[in-house]
Amino acid sequence: MSKFLVLAYLDPGSGSMLLQILLGGIAGVAVAGKMYWQRIKAHFSGGSKKPD
Amino acid sequence: MTDSFEPASFRDRHSRVFQRDKRIYRALSASGLSEWETLAATRLFAGFSRRGALVATRRADDEAALLAPLGDGWAGALEHERVPFISYPYEWSFGMMKDAALLQLDLVLAALDEGMILKDATAYNLQFRGASPVFIDIGSFITLDPGEPWPGYRQFCQLFLYPLLLQAYRDIPFQPWLRGSLEGIDPRDANAMLSTRDLLRSGVLAHVRLQAGAQQRFASTGRDVRADLRKAGFDARLIKANVAGLRKLVAKLEWTRHSSTWAGYAGDNSYDEANHQKKAAFVRAAAAERRRGLVWDIGANTGTFSRIASEHADYVVSMDADVLAVERHYQSLKQQDVRTILPLIGNVADPAPALGWRGLERLPLEKRGTPDLVLCLALIHHVVISANVPLAEFVDWLATLLSGGGDLVIEFVTKDDAMVRTLLRNKDDQYGDYEQPNFEAKLASRFEIVRQETIQSGTRTLYYARAK
Repeated sequence: MSKFLVLAYLDPGSGSMLLQILLGGIAGVAVAGKMYWQRIKAHFSGGSKKPD
Repeated sequence: MTDSFEPASFRDRHSRVFQRDKRIYRALSASGLSEWETLAATRLFAGFSRRGALVATRRADDEAALLAPLGDGWAGALEHERVPFISYPYEWSFGMMKDAALLQLDLVLAALDEGMILKDATAYNLQFRGASPVFIDIGSFITLDPGEPWPGYRQFCQLFLYPLLLQAYRDIPFQPWLRGSLEGIDPRDANAMLSTRDLLRSGVLAHVRLQAGAQQRFASTGRDVRADLRKAGFDARLIKANVAGLRKLVAKLEWTRHSSTWAGYAGDNSYDEANHQKKAAFVRAAAAERRRGLVWDIGANTGTFSRIASEHADYVVSMDADVLAVERHYQSLKQQDVRTILPLIGNVADPAPALGWRGLERLPLEKRGTPDLVLCLALIHHVVISANVPLAEFVDWLATLLSGGGDLVIEFVTKDDAMVRTLLRNKDDQYGDYEQPNFEAKLASRFEIVRQETIQSGTRTLYYARAK
């Protein structure tokens, strides 16, 4: 585990973490786009994977 | 219990506060110590410490001896300057909360410039030295890993932003809420208190409505949101944009209530100038009798007599139950950068209680310092008649408070006084105990009355008394 996570005792909240993309100004737009694209990719690749 | 930690310092296992010989120390884990070393070398630490916005901190001497009784796992110890009197956000006025919030955000912005961040954002990490906020949790600063979000964002909203928004936009005082909930105001509750019309106001849509929705939507998500953010290229620029936006939002917030029962009292009371001067001279003489460490001014209004007491005291805690009176007092102290008078919202008939884990985390008022002098001016009629506290019990309470050898300046207001007549206007006079001879007898049973002076055509008497 990274030192950052070792030291951070507070649960930032999943929703509140994601909201920080939206509040991140112009830089946030690119992150939001990439995140969205990854979810689409995951949706398709995850769907075709056979269980072990 | 001198060898254990402060009862309020338990959340963060890498940084815990303890006292030894009345001095304040912080034990740090190996990771915590390395973060301190990083922080201590920054411009931010030097700059904020110089202006008193960060609590004065240095590596403790003789760390091994300090840490030995605390058990294993501690790598270093810091010593902190002691804040004169601990206060809590539910005792602060709007302006105090706003200035505390701005300091918290300024520290996050400065930390980001140094590659660091604060791991939490609780209002309990701030204190006041008079009218000047000071950040006390040096253990909050950590190096920011690439791709990590701001861990304290939600907590900042719950304990700073929502209280301020509610008071600024809806005129709902935040103090009772924070006293009832140490974690602050949940996004869902804040959302429920703001109307659809409020969505047009700055900050409400993004920080309240969307956060309440996001919290609900992702509460039980199985996704590793941190990993997702990292992969999608989240970085410190986004945090900075958010924090800068919050700073702008908070700086603009104003609470515009202009009148309350008591806030105009100092300029519009029943005293004429001559009687006011007599009262001021009486208080000054009592205050000047000897130098005091801590003075409490209870029912201080906008602090006229706190100022007088502070001429002869190290520190004055100046309390009033009226939120607007305290706000005005704070703003005037702030304007003159007064650091020896602490204005607080407090009601002696319903004082700040013991709260939190084991009831030891947030201390009742009386456990945070014993006054050497108490000013109780034009207050007793409110305690006895408005709050229905029996007169004898109130005098007993004062005597117990001062039992260590403290002094009292108390003003008795007779039933002939216009103010008392107003209080009795809609009430049955069940206050047979509220008579001057009875008051004097009770006072004399618990205090030695040093001197007294009657003013205001006989309706008000000042007493200077010493606890027996």
